[in-house]
Parts: sequence; C-alpha cells; structure tokens
Amino acid sequence: MSVPTGLHPSPRARPGLRLDLAAAIVLFAALVVASLLVGVGDLGGAGGLQLLVVSRVPRTLAAILTGAGLAIAGLVMQTLAKNRFVEPMTAGTGQAAGLGILAMTILAPGASIALKSLAATVAAFAGTALFLALVRRLPPTQPFLVPLFAIVYGGVVGAVTTAVAWETDLLQYLDIWTNGEFSAVMQGRYELLWVNAAIVAAAWWVADRLTILSLGRDTAVGLGLNYAVMLQAGLAIVALVAGVTVATVGAIPFVGLVVPALVARRYGEDVRAVLPIIAAGGAGLVLACDLLARVVRFPYELPVGTVLAVVGAAVFLAVIFARPRQT
Amino acid sequence: MKFPLSILAGSVVALALGTAAASATDIETATGAVEIDRTPKTIAVYDIAALDTINALGVTVAGVPDRLFLPELQPLARTAEVVGTIFEPDLEALNALAPDLVVVGGRSARQASETARVAQTIDMTIDGTELLDETLARIETYGILFGKEDRAETLAATLDEDIAEARAAVEGKGDALIIMTNGPKISVYGPGTRFGWLHSELGIPPAVDDLGAGIHGDAVSFEFVASANPDWLIVVDRAAAIGSGEQNARATLDNVLVRGTKAWSEGHVIYLPAADFYIAAGGADATGRILKAITEGFTAGK
Amino acid sequence: MPDALADTAPGTPKVAPNAAPADRGPLLRAHRRRARLALAGLALAALVAAAISMTIGLRGNIAFALELRAVRLAALVQVAVAIAVSTVVFQTVTGNRILTPSIMGMDSLYLLVQSVLVLALGAAGFSALPAGLTFAGEAALMALLAAALFLPILRQRGDVVLMLLAGVVLGALFRGLSSLVARLIDPNTFAIVQSVSFADFNTVDERLLLPCILLTLAGTALIWRSRHVLDIMALGADDAVGLGVDWRRTAVGLVLVVGVLVAVSTALVGPVAFLGLLVVALAERLAGTTRHAVLLPAAALTGVVLLVGGQTVLAHVFGNALTLGIVIEFAGGLLFLVLLLSSRLR
Repeated sequence: MSVPTGLHPSPRARPGLRLDLAAAIVLFAALVVASLLVGVGDLGGAGGLQLLVVSRVPRTLAAILTGAGLAIAGLVMQTLAKNRFVEPMTAGTGQAAGLGILAMTILAPGASIALKSLAATVAAFAGTALFLALVRRLPPTQPFLVPLFAIVYGGVVGAVTTAVAWETDLLQYLDIWTNGEFSAVMQGRYELLWVNAAIVAAAWWVADRLTILSLGRDTAVGLGLNYAVMLQAGLAIVALVAGVTVATVGAIPFVGLVVPALVARRYGEDVRAVLPIIAAGGAGLVLACDLLARVVRFPYELPVGTVLAVVGAAVFLAVIFARPRQT
Repeated sequence: MKFPLSILAGSVVALALGTAAASATDIETATGAVEIDRTPKTIAVYDIAALDTINALGVTVAGVPDRLFLPELQPLARTAEVVGTIFEPDLEALNALAPDLVVVGGRSARQASETARVAQTIDMTIDGTELLDETLARIETYGILFGKEDRAETLAATLDEDIAEARAAVEGKGDALIIMTNGPKISVYGPGTRFGWLHSELGIPPAVDDLGAGIHGDAVSFEFVASANPDWLIVVDRAAAIGSGEQNARATLDNVLVRGTKAWSEGHVIYLPAADFYIAAGGADATGRILKAITEGFTAGK
Repeated sequence: MPDALADTAPGTPKVAPNAAPADRGPLLRAHRRRARLALAGLALAALVAAAISMTIGLRGNIAFALELRAVRLAALVQVAVAIAVSTVVFQTVTGNRILTPSIMGMDSLYLLVQSVLVLALGAAGFSALPAGLTFAGEAALMALLAAALFLPILRQRGDVVLMLLAGVVLGALFRGLSSLVARLIDPNTFAIVQSVSFADFNTVDERLLLPCILLTLAGTALIWRSRHVLDIMALGADDAVGLGVDWRRTAVGLVLVVGVLVAVSTALVGPVAFLGLLVVALAERLAGTTRHAVLLPAAALTGVVLLVGGQTVLAHVFGNALTLGIVIEFAGGLLFLVLLLSSRLR
C-alpha cells in the first residue's frame, strides 16, 4: 500500500479515471432524468410543475442523498473497524435505529417523526459505539472474525427489537417502517436526509485523517493523529447516517458494502481520491434500484430495501467470485 | 404415537355426552354447516370479532387469547382464562379449561386443526367483501347456539339501523380511497381487500377502479393519492391501536400532494377506530362503532 | 487499510482444521475417558430435561397433555439432532468451526424454495398435495440446490473469509428473493409460507413429524457411518485425498445430507440461526475432542439439553412470555459474541 498523500490517487488508478468519470456522469444524468420522469402522477397535466417540485425532485434527491450517505457510512465504518466486510445496515447500527424508533413509538406514541428520527440516531450511535468497542477486543490476526461478529451482533440487537415488537403487536408496523422505501418521500418529508450531504462533506474534510486512521492506531498516532477524536467523529458519521436514513426511508442493505468494495478494487485505497466516486456510486445504485422499485409493480411500489437485498447481494457475489479470474 | 387411541376415547365420551345433552343443531360456519350441541357451557374464543359478538350477547366466555386489543373487551381479562395467543393456542391451557366449544376465525383460523384435538372447534372467519351480511348472520347463529335469540335480535336490529344510517350518509357523497398509515408510509386498500366491504356493502364508490386486491394493502406514493384525487379519504393508523390517536396519521397525510386532493381541501377525511377496523371488524359492537364513525364523518363533512 | 478482500491469495491466515488427536498412550486414554464422561453426563442431562419437560405442571386431561408433550418432545429432539449433526458435518467439510448451515444461508434457501413452490402451485395446489410428499420434494430440491450452490463455495475451502462472506450474502439474497415473492403472491397464500419463517417451537405440524423422523434417522445414520471418513476430511482436502478419500464425491454426498437435515429442522420449527453454532461450540468444549465418534453424539445431546430444557424453562418459569426462537437468537448470539471475544472458540 502506498503512503497516502491525499493529493494524488495511486498511479495505477490514474489512466482509466477520466474515461470512467465521463461514462459515470452520463449514466448518472440519465438516471436522474429517468427518476424525474417516472411516477404515478401526470407531469404533462396542469399541476405538472408542482408535481416535479413537490414529489419527483425530492424523491430523486432523497435517493441520491441516501445512497451517497450509506456508501460513505460504509466506507467510514470499514475504516473504523479496519475490515472490508462491515457496513451499518448489517452490523447492528440499522437494527439499533429500529429499536430507537420502536422505543419512541411505545413510550411516546404521539411523538413526531422528527423526534422518532432523533431517537433512532441516538440508538444507532449507542449501538455502533458498542460494536466498535467490542470489535477492538477481537484478535487482530483474524480479520474474518469481524464480519462474523458484526452479523451476530446485528442479529442480537435485531432479536431484542423483534421480541419487543412481537410483544406489543408492532412487528408489521416496524417492518414496514424500517424496510427501505422511498414511496413516502416528498417535499417536507425527506429534508432530514440533507444531514447525509453534510456528512459526505465532513468525510471529505477529514478524508486524509481517515486514510491515516486506517493504517492502525500506532501508525496513526505516530503520524500525529488524535486517534480518540477521529474515532468519535467517525462513529458520529456512521450513526447519524444510519439513524437519519432508517427513520426517514428505512434500512437499505448492501450499499455500504458493495460500493466501497467495488470502488476500492478499481481505484485504490486513498480515501480522498475514492470518496467522491464512492458517494456518487452509492447515489447511482440507490437511484437505479428505486427506479426499478417504482416500475416493477406500477402503480404500486416495491420496497427499495428488498430490491437492494437482491440486486446488492447478487452484485456482491459476482464481485467476490469474479475476483480470482481478474487478477 | 398413542394419539389415535385418545381420540377414540375422546369421541366415545363425546358420543355418550351427546345423547344426554341438549338438542344438536346445524349452524353455518366459514367451513360449511356443522352440527353442534346447543348452549355449550364452557367456551374458548380465539377470534376477536367473534369474541366481540359473543360478549355482546351476554354469553360468559371462559377462555380468551392473551391480547384482547379492544378496550371494550378488557374486562374479560379478569374473568376468563388465557389460553394462548391468536396465532398460537396453548393447547395445554385449553385442555385444562376443558371447553365444550372453541371458536376460531380470521388470523386464528389456521389453528382450528390444533384446537380441534381438545374440543369441537368452529371456524367463524368473516370475509372482507360481505362483512356486514356475515356479521348479521353470525349474530343470529350465535344467538341460536347460545340460546340468546332475543338479545341477538336486538343486536341485529341495532346493527341494521347503523348500516342503514351509514348507507344513507354515504349516498351520493362521491368516491373514497382507503388508506392505512405505518409511521411515515402509506398503503391503499381497494374493493376485494379485507377493507373492501366499505365499497361493496356500504356503496361507497372506489376512487380507483382497478386497485390490486392485496389483502395487506399495496404500498403507494403520495403521488398515487394525488392522482386518484378521491372525494373522501378513509384513514386507519396501524399504530393507533396502541394509543397514539389520530394525530400521527394526520401528520403523515398532511402534505402538499394530499392537501391538493378534493377530500383534504373539503375536510373529507375520516379516521376510523383502528383496532375495531383492523382487528375486530365483523364483531357486533366493533362493526357498530365503525359504522357510526363512517356516518358521523360523512354527515359532518357535508 | 488491511485489505481482507484482497487476501484471497493462498497463505491467508486461515482457521486451522481440527487437529487430529496427536496424543498417544496414557494421554489418549485420559482423553477417551473425558469424552466418555462428557457423553454420559450429557445423556443424563438430556434425559433429565426430557423427564422434566414431560411431567412438570401437568393439569387437565393428563393423557392428552402427555400426548401433546410427547409430540413436542419428539419434534424438539429431532430438530436438535438434525441441527447438531448437520452443523458438525458442515463445519468439517468447510474446514472450520465458525460456519453453520444457517449462517451460510441454507435455511433462508429452504424458505425461498417453499415460497417459490407456493408461487408456482398456488395455495390450493400447495395445500392439496399430501404434506409428507410436498415436504419430501422440498427437502430433495433443497438438498440439490444446496449442493449446487455451496460446492463452488466449498472449493474455496482454504479461504474462510470468502466462504463466510459468500454464505452470508447468499443468505441475504435468498431472504430478499423470498420477500419479493411475498409481494408477488397474494398475502393469504403467503400466510402458508410465513408460518414457517419465524422459529416456533410450540406448534409443530404433526403431519410432518413422520417424514421428518425418517429423514433425520436416515441422514444421521449415513453420517454416523462416515464418522471416520469425517475425521480424515477434517485434515483438509489435500491430506484427505492423500489418505485415499475421494474428497469431492464425499463432500457432495455430505452436503446433500446436510441440506436434507436443514430442511427437516426448518420445516418443523423455522430458522434458528445460532443454535447449531452454539451447540457444536459447547459440545466441543465439553467433550474436549473433535473426533466425530464423540463430537456427533455430544453435539446432538447438547442440542437436546438446550432445546428441551430451554423450552421447559420458558413455558413453566416465564409462562410463555417469550418465544424460544427469539430467546435462542438472543442468548445464542450473545454467548457466541462472548466466545468470540474471549477467543476461546477453538
């Protein structure tokens, strides 16, 4: 691994980058246009412009913000856990956020959705902090233990949530709320997701420090990094993205896993160099899957979380099994 | 396995009792006509709608599921034994109760074969599309079965009135869309779904004709609601059963797209009692409360 | 960044396959005695658990209650044996002690097979088929699919990361596909499928009991016969081939049997992700050996103690307030996390 300078992408990645970028921009633009055009309402009618402003633009933005946020959260979480196979939605963060929503629904049924989002974020923060605290006690020589630990940890948190929801007959309610879906997105209903934009910006700002963080505690401290502060910052990033996303649109798996993995394979490990690509990749992936979710059962909707569970899993399998032949 | 033997023993006992007990009668259930000895003494009921009606008839129920959902049924928790949940009967508890008759229906209907091993079980599921007719038929049936014909007649007459009032109230008021809210998300229910009786039996025209017939409702966007542009919105909040009232559903729907519909702009939004509508529809009292809410809503929002 | 994804090249720190008993002489005898003691203790505990579960708090019509409990006990024992045996075999074939058929997504695969069958046949067609036949068909289909899907993964044997990851992702893929199917078939029909998608130890489908007993017996017998081959397979593919074992053919056969056993337990009680992991980890530590002649019965007995004991405690101490499935998911997961953290899993 080359010593990251933060300014120059690794040499290997350079040549393909420009062409990739052009293709990506075209594809991304096509997705955005399609997303603006596809929907139940009639854009050509009298309220066409209003429909665009009130529903299509917010929905498109929501998908972009969610995808970018989740991909970056995945990247940050992988840096913190020093492992490629963790991401918030499969490592207890998403499940903890669901638990927060459930607790709020039971304790304060009248609370607004914003308050429930806050509860989700707080729970996600606690859940992720505990996860990272535990993960650091795992033997560092066995990297495969981390994803295993993550899955089991997520399962344990999920079991608590399920038990409570089962007892209170809220299982279906919670399932529908926390399964990722953009159907409810419109003006006034997704703005919390702008937190994700702020977070992508924040991640960009601390990108070099994240790269250093990924080199391990000793190296990082040796290079003058305030390790504890960075860890807290990374934690806050992951928890905020997970909490806000789960409460606003629900959990969407695999984005944080697939996108950073694909991008890192092609463009290397330097966080600052790959960060915009990862953010854009996540946005594009979620946008494409949401389009699929809108058209498969038109005029009804499929949950994008379900679509991504299938698409994301398939892509990921293809990635890991195509590897040996490529190298 | 010894079970054929005990079934044999059980049926011998039943046979012996049958000749001595009151006259048997044929009653209509969801699975066809069934012969039952009249006025069973000890009854266990797993279906909330059936429980609502049987309770309203003044019949003492000995066994109930652990959750009763309706506040009106809560007093039963003090007097009756808990015999499992709607989805999972506790056969040992049921066996200890030794009921003469077990009533299942709706969500508990699949457990009929299990409970039938303890005592005669009838499936009194009430279907979504002919809910009112079936509710009335069930009231009559229970009346005969439990020897409460008079009380059944009064109940049926009250319900008939409620139905007539509701039909009159919705007559010529335009079409409606049935929406359920789950937190910030919504799904719609059309004719043929579990809430379809509002359309088919009360005569409220559906705002969208070809709404898919998903029993659990289909997830839709607010754009869908806007382009359906119904005259009325009939809303049920999935979480309201645990006491959040209607403000959450109202907050979910209160947005630019829904505000643009005829229904919202004219104040034609009706919030139905969630537990009555979602869990206990088909119960005599619960159905009465739903109908009253419909009548009030459609009358008030002229 | 320590790039685990890039670490698929040979030479990855991999989980050491179970070491063959290198001990000789008196040490070996001591080992054997400990294993015998552990087995006897577990058998006693299993008997006690079964006896308590049959007799505690009986009321009402005793004959009926006993019959009810006997059926449930039979189902629990069967599930415990099926899960324990299939997990041991799966771990040996995959060459490490942290994988289970559940974690690798095999019970999600069973649920998917069932949803797709319901989709293809419709509710009426599905219900019209005799339960035993439908189930046998599902189990066979499941075993074939499992072999087809998991063998390519198993070929990457040395690379635990890749295997684990592929399995987890496959599991998620199957769950995603199942819920897509759920959206496509009408929900009443789906209720048939959904009744098995939650672990439920109280209501057991009695029609399935007989075919399940037969399949479990047959599968367990086959595996018991291969116990010495399994000891050799635990050394790894190369060593096993060197010792004259047709690794590929044996692995295919074993995975087929594992598929059937997973189908049995999932059909009876639904998916139980951490049970197998828990059972084998505990059994291995109790018996102090990885010899299959000891490990297989030890794991099966541990499973019986956990399931039957757990069910009895929940029903009679906590009054059925919680479902055993959720408790296993929680307690099993928690204990497993502790085991991981204390690094004493192996």
